[in-house]
Amino acid sequence: MSTARPVELIRALGVLAEMPAPEHADIASALGLPAPPSGSEWADLFMFQLHPYASVHLGAEGMLGGDARERVAGFWRAVGRTPPKEPDHLVALLGLYAGLLDEASESSSARGALVFRSAQALLHEHLSPWLFAYLGRVVDLGGDFHRAWGALLREVLSTEAARPGGPETPATHLAEAPALADPRSGNGPDFLAGLLAPVRCGVILTRADLARVAAWADLGLRAGERRYVLEHLLGQDPVAVMRALADLARDAAAGHRADPWAPPDVAAFWAGRAAASAELLTELAAEGARAVVLSGDAS
Amino acid sequence: MSHDELNRRVSAARSETEARGETFYPGPSRVHLAAYPPKERWLDWVELDSRSWPERVEKRYTLVPTTCFNCESACGLLAYVDRDSLQVRKFEGNPEHPGSRGRNCAKGPATLNQIVDPDRILYPLKRVGERGEGKWEQVGWDEALDDIAGRIRTAMVEERHDEVMYHVGRPGEDGFTTRMLAAWGVDGHNSHTNVCSASARVGYNFWMGMDRPSPDHANADVILLVSSHLETGHYFNPHAQRVIEGKKRGAKLIVFDTRLSNTTTHADHWLATYPGSEPAVLLAVASWMIRERKYNRTFVERWWNWREYMTEVHARPDASFEDFEVALEEAYAEYTFDFAAAEAGIPADTIRQVAEVVAGAGTRFSAHNWRSAGSGNLGGWQVARSLTLISALLGALAVEGGTYPSGWNKYVPKPPRSPKRHPRKWNTILWPEEYPLAMHELSFLMPHLMRERGGYVDTYFTRVYNPVWTNPDGFSWIEMLTDASKIGLHVAMTPTWNETAYFADYVLPMGHGSERHDLTSYEQYDGQFIAFRQPVLRTARERMGEKVTDTRQVNPGEVWEENEFWIELTWRIDPDGSMGIREFFESRKHPGQKMTVDEYYGWIFENSVPGLPEAAASEGLSALEYMRRYGAFEVSRKIGPVYEQPVPHDELDDVHVDHEGRVYTRAPVPESPRAAGSNRLEPDADGRRRVGIKIDGDVLKGWPTPSGKLEFWSRTMAEWGWPEVATPTYVRSHVHPSKLDRDQMPLLSTFRVPIQIHTRSGNAKWLDEIAHTNPLWIHPTDAGRLGIEKTGDLVRVETEIGHFVVKAWITQGIRPGVVACSHHMGRWKPEGQPGQRMSMATVALGRSGDTWSLEQKQGGGAFMSDDADTMRIWWTDVGVHQNLTHAVHPDPVSGMHCWHQAVRVRRAEPGDRFGEISVDQEKAQAAYARWLGMTRPASRHSPDGTRRPYWMARPVRPEREAYDLPSPPPVTEAEPAGVE
Repeated sequence: MSTARPVELIRALGVLAEMPAPEHADIASALGLPAPPSGSEWADLFMFQLHPYASVHLGAEGMLGGDARERVAGFWRAVGRTPPKEPDHLVALLGLYAGLLDEASESSSARGALVFRSAQALLHEHLSPWLFAYLGRVVDLGGDFHRAWGALLREVLSTEAARPGGPETPATHLAEAPALADPRSGNGPDFLAGLLAPVRCGVILTRADLARVAAWADLGLRAGERRYVLEHLLGQDPVAVMRALADLARDAAAGHRADPWAPPDVAAFWAGRAAASAELLTELAAEGARAVVLSGDAS
Repeated sequence: MSHDELNRRVSAARSETEARGETFYPGPSRVHLAAYPPKERWLDWVELDSRSWPERVEKRYTLVPTTCFNCESACGLLAYVDRDSLQVRKFEGNPEHPGSRGRNCAKGPATLNQIVDPDRILYPLKRVGERGEGKWEQVGWDEALDDIAGRIRTAMVEERHDEVMYHVGRPGEDGFTTRMLAAWGVDGHNSHTNVCSASARVGYNFWMGMDRPSPDHANADVILLVSSHLETGHYFNPHAQRVIEGKKRGAKLIVFDTRLSNTTTHADHWLATYPGSEPAVLLAVASWMIRERKYNRTFVERWWNWREYMTEVHARPDASFEDFEVALEEAYAEYTFDFAAAEAGIPADTIRQVAEVVAGAGTRFSAHNWRSAGSGNLGGWQVARSLTLISALLGALAVEGGTYPSGWNKYVPKPPRSPKRHPRKWNTILWPEEYPLAMHELSFLMPHLMRERGGYVDTYFTRVYNPVWTNPDGFSWIEMLTDASKIGLHVAMTPTWNETAYFADYVLPMGHGSERHDLTSYEQYDGQFIAFRQPVLRTARERMGEKVTDTRQVNPGEVWEENEFWIELTWRIDPDGSMGIREFFESRKHPGQKMTVDEYYGWIFENSVPGLPEAAASEGLSALEYMRRYGAFEVSRKIGPVYEQPVPHDELDDVHVDHEGRVYTRAPVPESPRAAGSNRLEPDADGRRRVGIKIDGDVLKGWPTPSGKLEFWSRTMAEWGWPEVATPTYVRSHVHPSKLDRDQMPLLSTFRVPIQIHTRSGNAKWLDEIAHTNPLWIHPTDAGRLGIEKTGDLVRVETEIGHFVVKAWITQGIRPGVVACSHHMGRWKPEGQPGQRMSMATVALGRSGDTWSLEQKQGGGAFMSDDADTMRIWWTDVGVHQNLTHAVHPDPVSGMHCWHQAVRVRRAEPGDRFGEISVDQEKAQAAYARWLGMTRPASRHSPDGTRRPYWMARPVRPEREAYDLPSPPPVTEAEPAGVE
């Protein structure tokens, strides 16, 4: 393993997650990546399927903002920087990581060591906990460019995460993430929200996944946000939808377990959450009771 | 390839690119997730049809941007045009619009209601009975155009240019119409501004030489709003979203508002000031800052015209800055917290707390006053003067987080063929000599001035404007409009029926926001942008390959847009070009043919908007195609303190620096793609033009004021008869307690509701359902005192000229001792006339001697139409037209109508009916005469024999000679009372 840090590579990979601009062609070429995608492809992936925000994947609500974003913003402040408008966006986080590594290399040894530890903390606390699971889905769903980009980025970050000296305690986002609620105890709405919160259910459920569920179960797919779509799928045939979701969760658990890139504790966390979700969804499907599952909330 | 090797390669590529002076990375701010269709897909956007569910039926749209035409915020809209039916299905926000950034209030999406309104006017109509009788016939555009053009042509041939008048509500466009009027050579531009914002404009203008504020709320640490800007302000939505951004950053919000508005609910400090006392509070804050030396001394010393003040007011030309500080402290010593507390009815400690917050803001202090207190009160222009005093003490002007002047945050591009001509005749009805310092036309006095001075307007256009309803004293307007000896021909250009159109000779149907071309730019943040309004169905059809040459081909019925109308009218006024007018609307590409709107805007976008052609070319588009596709373009951002910019070397030729440091040059004005500014600063004695100001040895651009600096003391005001108010001071309002009888209260009549905008939004069913009436806000203690038992009880509100009957709303949300009634409601149509059935009451107008009356015969209600929703209208109460009972109150300095009313409120009398109105015209004329008596006319006070300071802007500026008064001014005599 090289001791030099690939700072410019990380920075460049971050920039390539922005909306495509003419400059991206030269960056991609330097990295040996396919030609950058069209704006439409980019929007499909990052605006409709996989939102590149830590808060979406680590927050208990599965949405932008909330405590997860506040935690990330707090990190920016802790390292003496003003949080940008979207502090938890992948581009912002990779830019910050590269910037901290740059600063560490340019500082005196004592200051450099401090900044370097900040960079490690950023990787451990705010990037690794979600990015490997996320990039796995990018590689699944993306076109040529994004498949290659996602694969390269997770390789690079895997190497970074494997460097010695990182924190030994679990990332706070993961340690404090609530588990998926059981609707049989009366909180159907919370259960539904949890299915759309990756950190709770261990599955990144995209629009494309919901479309596949609808097609598999031969159900109507309503246009709208994911929760709206999911509610209406469940409203049509809860048993079939639960089964399909259970299958997705089982596949996700297997994928996390076999993930060669994520740190072992992170992979284990995601695999455990996905397996638990699969088990719960299977039980619910077997019980087949709309009233129990949805608590009358989703029809 | 290893990561190290990739790292080396990308580092090398970066170094190589940057060594060429180019940018390797495209820059930040490109990552934000937004809930908008990505612009790459606007041409062909697919959504599932909600009505077809559970079937998955795809609907294909082409998304066409335009600009909202409801309020002056002019936010960006995105029309979803169904590609199959070519109908607009909905409007959402345009994320490419730099001002509104994709966000809209309810009025934007409700444009859909307006374009399919079953009661809208679809064809040109001509009166066939007496004016106001309600008999109309449909005519062709050609007939109307020929008739109108013929009259105008005759007036011009007979040198009666001042008998042509164009009276506009909110213009919603930059430059087209003023260019046309300049081409016509008529001094007939008449705005609504003196019933709107003129007061604030005067206050800002005499400080900065620019008449509107552009507060940078998003970056402020302290935001001070005089009134409810967060919900209904001038640039409501663009500013509101930035106020909230500022608050999210931790900014403190201070709100002065007599009502518990939505804005006050967001305030950290809410001051429910007694109406008109706002300057007293602001001056107390300033006074404390001055006493405690909590102001930016460096800025004040550098940029205030304090030397001029010390020389002219204290006769101390050699005074030091420290001497000025002493004088300043003395000048404001009387404005203590206790003084302000007594005037405003706010505890002194509260005002002190606010002062401490304000003083702690440093330069990150953004502030805004527009209508409200400014437009309500005698001397209301001192609200903006006093507010700017605080900004100027802090140095919080044209810096990040501060307040910018409008001119630096707005971009008006130069049009093709700018007429270099000015009207030769001064219009004395619009600009009477009694108001030399008014920023705008004395439009609301027109009926009185016409009556008193024998005025006559041969052709009078009301353009999307409704003075009978909007202005005070509407019965005087009806009298004027129905008098053929005063108005020869009245042409009402309007998309919908309004109270003024009933008294027209022609009613011409004009387009809504998605049916017309206009170009706009507004000062909404620290940047400059242009936005395009366009007929969206025309653009949609052109995307499908059709050729559209006239907007009437795509608009409903025969609805037209103004640009094409004016071009056609101008050609008919001057058919052979012999009058020298037609040339300004001739094609440059095809001489002898009419200029098209494509050519007009295409030329502007290609030649007058820096960066736009390049941005368009990068996408393979022409500049016009780019604007048709995206609807807006940001010209620049982060303008910063222009006044500190050095004057370029090549503009300094044979320079003369006068004793006040003003720098004059013989270098010509450099070519600029921007339209020329409106101020005309005087040249030096040798004819050199003013180019800047010398500060500490540097020649800087400074401020566009006569002194080149911020004018704490206004020489203009002092020399034109108002020396006692030439610095920011407190003028007691006409509704000050000392001027009211014991049984009178102030009535706030100007406040908006966020979902309506005067008469313009009255044909939007979604908005009408939310807000359709205007009860009288009254505090429980007042209601108890007056015997008003419950909300909904009828009350009679008596003004100085009449009364109206309205329902009471008993609420804690109004300061005790004050009542309020929103002015948005109370629309009406005379019996037998067409009109908006969901928002207008049917009324009987009556006159007996000097007394006019209005009686509501029927409220709103359900009706059959093509729109099933019109059968679901559940409301009948559409409010009361209170403005009819308001006398004119022209402020003697600003010319602004002072809207607040001194009223008596009592329980309705037996026989009083809801909506009833009665007005005594004799009293209305007496009120006009009383307020006119407070003026100081130019004929007695002009320092140079002219009608008006030449440096001050005018929409269509007459030639220099027209400024001369007809005879030399006599010696000044004893003064009338004036303002105290």
